[in-house]
Amino acid sequence: MNTQKKSTQKKRRFNLYAMVWRTPIIVWQLLFFVGPLLFMIAMSFFLVKNYRMIEAFEMKNWIKMFSKNYFWDSYYLTFGLASLSTIIATVIAFPASFALAFKVSDNVRRWVIFLLIIPFFTSYLVRIFSWYVILAESGVINAMLSYVGLGPYTMLNTMFGTLVGYMTLCLPLVVILQTFSLANVDKNLIQAAKNLGCSPIKTIYSVIIPLAKTGLIVAALFCFILSFGDFVSPYYLGGSKPPTLPILIIDTTKSGQQWPRAAVVAVVMMATLITIAFAALALAYKKRASR
Amino acid sequence: MKESNTLKWFLWIYIGLIFVFIFSPIIFSMIFSFNSARFPTIPLESFTWHWYETIWNDSDVWQAAKTSVIVSSCTAVIATALGFATAYSDFRYNFRFKGPYLALVLLPPTIPLIILALAMLAWFSKIGTSGQIYSIVIAHSVMTAPFAMAIIRLRLNQIDENLEAAAWNLGASEWRAMKEVILPFCKPAIVSSLCLTAAVSFDEFAVAWFVSGLNKTIPVMIMEIVTGNIDPRVNAIGTFVFITSMTLVIIAQIFFMTRPKEASAQ
Amino acid sequence: MSNPQSEPLVELESVVKRFDDFVAVKSMDLTIGKGEFVAIMGPSGCGKTTTLRMLAGLEQPTEGEIRIGGELMNDVPPHDRDTPMVWQSLALFPFLNARENVEFGLKMRKVPAAERKKRALEWLDRLGIGEFAERNVATLSGGQRQRVALARSLVTEPKLLLLDEPLSALDAHLVIRMQSVLTKLQRELGITFVYVTHSQSEAFAMADRVVIMSQGEIAQIGSSRDIYREPANRFVAEFVGRNNIISGKVVKVTKGKAEVIAASGTYVVEAGDLLEGQETTFVISADLVQITREATKSENSVQCSLISEEFIGSVVTLFLEAADGTEFKVQLQERELSTLDHGAGDEFYLSWPAKSAHIIDGA
Repeated sequence: MNTQKKSTQKKRRFNLYAMVWRTPIIVWQLLFFVGPLLFMIAMSFFLVKNYRMIEAFEMKNWIKMFSKNYFWDSYYLTFGLASLSTIIATVIAFPASFALAFKVSDNVRRWVIFLLIIPFFTSYLVRIFSWYVILAESGVINAMLSYVGLGPYTMLNTMFGTLVGYMTLCLPLVVILQTFSLANVDKNLIQAAKNLGCSPIKTIYSVIIPLAKTGLIVAALFCFILSFGDFVSPYYLGGSKPPTLPILIIDTTKSGQQWPRAAVVAVVMMATLITIAFAALALAYKKRASR
Repeated sequence: MKESNTLKWFLWIYIGLIFVFIFSPIIFSMIFSFNSARFPTIPLESFTWHWYETIWNDSDVWQAAKTSVIVSSCTAVIATALGFATAYSDFRYNFRFKGPYLALVLLPPTIPLIILALAMLAWFSKIGTSGQIYSIVIAHSVMTAPFAMAIIRLRLNQIDENLEAAAWNLGASEWRAMKEVILPFCKPAIVSSLCLTAAVSFDEFAVAWFVSGLNKTIPVMIMEIVTGNIDPRVNAIGTFVFITSMTLVIIAQIFFMTRPKEASAQ
Repeated sequence: MSNPQSEPLVELESVVKRFDDFVAVKSMDLTIGKGEFVAIMGPSGCGKTTTLRMLAGLEQPTEGEIRIGGELMNDVPPHDRDTPMVWQSLALFPFLNARENVEFGLKMRKVPAAERKKRALEWLDRLGIGEFAERNVATLSGGQRQRVALARSLVTEPKLLLLDEPLSALDAHLVIRMQSVLTKLQRELGITFVYVTHSQSEAFAMADRVVIMSQGEIAQIGSSRDIYREPANRFVAEFVGRNNIISGKVVKVTKGKAEVIAASGTYVVEAGDLLEGQETTFVISADLVQITREATKSENSVQCSLISEEFIGSVVTLFLEAADGTEFKVQLQERELSTLDHGAGDEFYLSWPAKSAHIIDGA
C-alpha cells in the first residue's frame, strides 16, 4: 500500500489536500514548542539589569550558577532522588507487572490497566495534598500506628515523603509499561526454557528480563524523567531543603525575576535528560541490534 | 500445584497493595471532604457539607472554574484538531522526513513540565502573548496534541484500507471523502480525544501556573491554597476535580472501546 | 487476436506502471468491448489488481494511455470517473446502514434524497435483500454484504463495473450462487464487467474473455475454451493446471504429422510449422486423454502406473507416472471411472489422437 501511495504522491507536485493536513502541526509545534525551547536556551545567555531582561550573549549566568555550591547540591540531590525513585519503582512494579503479564487473563489485564490509567487524569496536586495529611505527624498513618503503640514517625519533609510522592507519580506508568513489554515476550521461549530445566527464578533472569529489556528500560526512563522534573513532591512532601532543580527554577523565576538563571538550570536539566535518554535507549537496543 | 497457588495469592495481594497505594490519596481526599475536622485525620469527626458550601459560595472558585472550563474545552478542540490532522497525515501519506515530523509531534510529553513552563513563559512574554487565558490554551494544546494524535491514529489503524478509495470511487472528492468517510469513522476516537485532552488540561497546574498571569485555573488555585496551610477546602475542590476528570476519562474510554463490528461479522 | 465483438469501451495502449523500482505492469495493450465480461486472472503479484486500480484512477499509469469510451483517462481523478468497483474487502461503510451505503454514490452525484432512497431500495430489492435495507452492514451475512456492495456500485448505472476478487471471502456454495447472480446481472444490464480473480473456476464460468497475466504482462487473451484447449505458452498451460505438458525433439515430418521423441516415449502430433530437428513442447488436456487397461491402436500411447486420484465434484483427476517418471494427468467423469477397475500401482495405457495435442511455440 505504501509504495502505491508514494507513486501517487510523486505525480502531483503540490498537493493542497495533503498539505492542509500535514502543515498545521509543523507550524504549531515550531511556533509554540521548538520556539520556546530554543528561546529558553538563548535566554540562558541574557542579562538582567534593574529587573529587566536584556538580550545579550554572555556566559555570566552559567558561570554564576556553576560556581554556586547550592546549585550543585541541588543537582546531585535531584539526580540521586530521581535515580532512587527509578530503582524503587522498577523493583516494586516488577512483581505486579509479571503477574499481570503472565498470570491473569487478557480481560483482567485490560481492566487492571484501565484502573491504572485513571490516576493520570486525576489531579496529581490533590493526591499529593492528600498524602500530606496522611503522612503528617498527626495524620492517618500515625493515628493508626498510635493504636498499636507505635510512633509517631516523622514522614513529612523527609526523603521518604518525596519518594512517596514520586511513586504516586510514576508507579502506575511503570507498571503499565512493564506489563506491556512482558506481555509481548514470546510465551514459547519461556516454555522452552522451562523444558530445558530452567528454574522459575532463572527463567525470569535469563529469559524473560533480557527479552523484555527494551520495555523495562523505557519504563525506567520515563520514571526518571518524571521524577527528575517534578517539583510538587519534593516541595510539599520533601520540605524542599535543599531544593531540587525544579524548585530552584520556580524560586529563581518567581521570586528573583532571574529568568536567565532559571533557564540555565532548565538547560542543564534538559542536557542531563537527553544524555540519560540516549544512554538508556542505547542500552535498551544494544543486544537487539546485534542479534 | 499448591506452590503456584500460594504464589498466585501472593501476587494478587501484592497487586492489591499497589492499588491501595495508588488509590488511597484519592479515596482519603474524598472522605475528608465530608469530614468536619479542620485537620483531616482519623478518627473521623462528623459528616458535613461545610467544605462544599464554602467553595460553592466562593466567587474566586467560580471564577477559576470558569477559566478552567474555558481553557480545557478550547484546548480539547485545538489539540484534537491538530492531532487528527497529524494522525491522518501519518496514516495516509509517506513523505520525506516523516521520522523527524512524528518526533516533533510526539516529543512534548517527554519534556518535564517545569521546563516547558519556563520556556513558554519566557517565549510568550517575548512575543507578547503572556498572562492571557489563550496563553494557557496554547501551552496545553502543545502538551496534549500528542495524546489526541495517538488516540486517533489507533482508530485509523482499524480502518479498511480501501474505505477512503471506495468513497472516491463512488464519486467523492478527497475533501468529500474526508467529510463522509474518514470523519464519521473516526468519530468515536475524536470524542475520546476531546474528553482526554480536556481532562489532562483540566488537571494541569505547572504550566498553567507559570503562564496564566491573573487567570487562575482550578489546579493553580488549589496550589495556592495548599502552599503553606492545610485547608480541607482542597479536598472538596479536589473531589470535584476528580469527578470531573473521571467522568471525562470514562466517557473517553467508552468511545475508545468502540470497535468496528465488521470484523466479527465476516 | 481476440478483438472484441462490439465497439471498444476500454482501451489500454502500451500501459506501464512502475512503483519506484518495481515494475507492476509492463507495456500492456488491451481492448475491452461494450457489454463484455472480461476476467483478468493470474497469480498474486502479476499486475492484475494494479491494472484494475488504473482503470478506477486509483493509480496513474507511468507510461501509455488509458481510454474509456474514447476519452483519455490518464489524469482524471477517481471521483470524476464512472468506474465503480466491488472491492475484495467489500469496503462497505461501517457507520452507514445497507440503504445508506447504496445511496452513497447517488448522494455524491447530488441526487435528491427521496429519489436516492427510492433507487437504493429498488436495487436492494432487485438483489433480494430489500428487507435488510435499514440494517447495520456489520450485522449482515457475507453473502448479504456482497449484495450490498454490488448494489452500491450499480445504483449509479455505470457503463463499466470493476470487480476485484469480489467472491474470495465467501464460502464455496455462496460463490456458485453469486456467480450466477453476477452473470445474470451482467447480461440483463448489458454493461461491461472487468473481473479480477485468481480463481480459474470463477473466470472460466463467467467471462466472455479471459486475460491471463504473468509478471506484469499478458500471457494470453482468449475465450475460456481457447485458454483451456490452446494455451499460448507454457505459463498458461501450467497455470490452467489440467494439461499434460511434453517437451521433445521433432525427428520426422511426414504427411502433415510430426514425430516427437520425448523422455517418456515417441509421440505423433499434427506437424503445422514444425521442422525436423526442432525442439518443441506440446500439451494435451487431461480430459482428452483416454485411459484403458489394454494397449490401443491410437497414434499416441504411453504405459503408466497409477499414483493417486483426486475428486472434485463429479470429476476425477488421475495422476499417473510413465516409466521414466514423467507425470501424466487424466480427467474423467466419476461414472466413467466406475467402469474401470483400478487401484494404486496398476498399469494402464494412456492414448490420444494426434489432433488432441496442441503445440506451444517457443517453449
